[in-house]
Amino acid sequence: MVKPRLRIALAGNANVGKSVIFNQLTGLNQVVGNWPGKTVERAEGTLFFKGYTIRIIDLPGIYSLSAFSMEEIVSRDYVAVEKPDIIINVVDASALERNLYFTLQLLELEAPIIIDLNQVDFAAKKGVRIDVEKLSEALGVPVVPTVAITGSGMNELLSTVVAVASGERELKPLKARYGKEIEKRVQAIEKLVSAKLLQLCTVYPARWIAIKLLERDTDVAGKLKNYENGKEVLDYAEKLAIELEKIHGEPSPVVIASERYGLANKIAKEVTAIEAPPRISLEQKLDAITTHKILGYPILTGVVVSMFALIFIGGNFLSAGLEFLFENLSLYVESVLSSFLPRIVVDLINNGILAGIVGGITIALPYIVPFYIILALLEDSGYLPRAAFLMDNLMHKIGLHGKAFIPLMLGYGCSVPACIGCRIMETERERFLAGFVVVLIPCAARTVVILGLVGRFIGLHAALALYAFDLVLVFVLGRIAFKVLPGEPVGLIMEMPPYRKPLAKNIFVKTWSRTKGFIYIAFPIIIAGSVAIEALALSGFMSYIVEAANPLIGGWLGLPPETGIPLIFGILRKELTLILLSELIPLESLTAIQMIVFSLVTMIYIPCIATIAACAREFGWRKALAIAVIDVALALFLGGLAYRLLSLVMAT
Amino acid sequence: MQGGSREPSKRRNPRGIEGVISLTSLCEGERGVVAYAVGGFGLVRRLADMGLTPGVEVKLLRKGSFHGPVQIEVRGVGLALGYGVASKVFVRPLKAKPDG
Repeated sequence: MVKPRLRIALAGNANVGKSVIFNQLTGLNQVVGNWPGKTVERAEGTLFFKGYTIRIIDLPGIYSLSAFSMEEIVSRDYVAVEKPDIIINVVDASALERNLYFTLQLLELEAPIIIDLNQVDFAAKKGVRIDVEKLSEALGVPVVPTVAITGSGMNELLSTVVAVASGERELKPLKARYGKEIEKRVQAIEKLVSAKLLQLCTVYPARWIAIKLLERDTDVAGKLKNYENGKEVLDYAEKLAIELEKIHGEPSPVVIASERYGLANKIAKEVTAIEAPPRISLEQKLDAITTHKILGYPILTGVVVSMFALIFIGGNFLSAGLEFLFENLSLYVESVLSSFLPRIVVDLINNGILAGIVGGITIALPYIVPFYIILALLEDSGYLPRAAFLMDNLMHKIGLHGKAFIPLMLGYGCSVPACIGCRIMETERERFLAGFVVVLIPCAARTVVILGLVGRFIGLHAALALYAFDLVLVFVLGRIAFKVLPGEPVGLIMEMPPYRKPLAKNIFVKTWSRTKGFIYIAFPIIIAGSVAIEALALSGFMSYIVEAANPLIGGWLGLPPETGIPLIFGILRKELTLILLSELIPLESLTAIQMIVFSLVTMIYIPCIATIAACAREFGWRKALAIAVIDVALALFLGGLAYRLLSLVMAT
Repeated sequence: MQGGSREPSKRRNPRGIEGVISLTSLCEGERGVVAYAVGGFGLVRRLADMGLTPGVEVKLLRKGSFHGPVQIEVRGVGLALGYGVASKVFVRPLKAKPDG
């Protein structure tokens, strides 16, 4: 017997817990967090339940199925074209009305949906109780209450999916009707659409096409252009849209959205009982203080500074402890291996492979792990949107809006997700602008260098000064890019999710999955780089490279000639620069100025290979290379300048 | 002081309906009913999708400093709007009533 297969999709507003549910169902670790727009790429996983093989896909969070953003078009095309067997519409119980607005649009698409009424615990805390039965009746589809974060309700959810798929439970989805003025026109267009656009109607429901045309949806209108009768239908819809706009005095999508919201409001009211009048909760007080027009800023500064201070203190502590542990390992390995292996192999193993592993463990991990923990806390608590709110004004100065501050903060973790995270920006131009500045933010790997070299040997103040300088640089370059790139800036429209208490388990899982990712990706490169350098040294090639690069490295940047090698390898991974440097020369032998110049250059020059690849995927190769070239030139220029200026300052 | 692309702050009531002011002119804690929004097709539609349709009640929670963004509550959801965006939304202020 063939095992039955099902394809289901998770769809819903941003920040309602789709990714949490996805992880609960599949056991995968899709990154979750309390800010809207995390799922920028759809994630897929498979699970087995009651003999079914269920392929599940996590769609990005959207508020509507209009053609506002790429995500919306992709999502609705997935629903209409791929026709998954069932769509789990995840609905935030504490914001039912806004979520039902989206549900109604899924119903317009005539998608087979079941409702996952999520975060019922949070809604209950707000004093909102939802009558599940009534809601199910009103929509004509099953409703399953869940608390995804604890996993409660997941079994019922899957049972319902299977019950619907097997035909045991029938869907009688609500056929929403609009008010007379709209309905009349929708039906008129629908009639014409089903008569003239037979082929398109096999993919999209005729009524849905009619509604979208009346809404002047540019994407659907574009599809019609390929049809012989497309023009006729378009002109007719246009005529009716103008009529509608004359009656209401509003653009037709606003008129239709209003009615849809009217229905969402009616359903929400019918099924909701407010048990307790909302009191001012701790979360609201926290919200008020952290977005306060004056107090918010010192708090933001405090959060960022203490973040680095904590990473610094924790990192130094761990780093010193681990170094102590590994101190004698190398000597021991050398003595054991020397007894039966030739010298050159011993050197490759000991100074190459082992030094790479030890460097990764003692230099990189101690700073990266605390960082991941703090980042997870910031993400899960919901602080990031607050920071975005506070920074909106400043971000406008570089042609972006507050939301761009979120990928910017993520950039302190790793430039790759930050680069991809720029997709939360609405337009192509803003995505690129954000991407351009995001790669200049020192990622955790660069933090390893800054804190592990400047912080450790000069002091935290010098390291923080470097970070501050970087922010100024980001601002200046962003401002220039903003002025150079053509286009109109877009304003901020962002959901402000309520604060949540981060769960220790989720912080741990997220930190672990990121650390694991780091180890898998970075360690092979660190080890390979380490072996390559040892090979270069053993073969004698090293001196040629050092010689050739010396005018730039020694002459212009004032660094010891050997530093050229780590800087070249740093293109692979930024923390490699420090690890390899420590293998070549004792770090203590550098002067303070050299440490600063080295860190400065590492901080700014070419984002690592992975980041360039991510940029290329997001913005195209040409722009990615442009970013890389600009960053290298800038790093060398500023490095040389810093060397000269600092030498002058120190001399006086 | 502001970037050149910003809307002037006091572009009051382009449709000339009496008693209607821009969302940015509400005081913190004050409520209003959305009358209309002006601006590009995309913006107006986006605002409607986020729940800011004519007739809906909004509460202005707070304003950012120096013509910063505003935080509002609409349909039970918190929303942040940039100053430029918020100044294109026009509301009819509601008589102050005790905050429950």
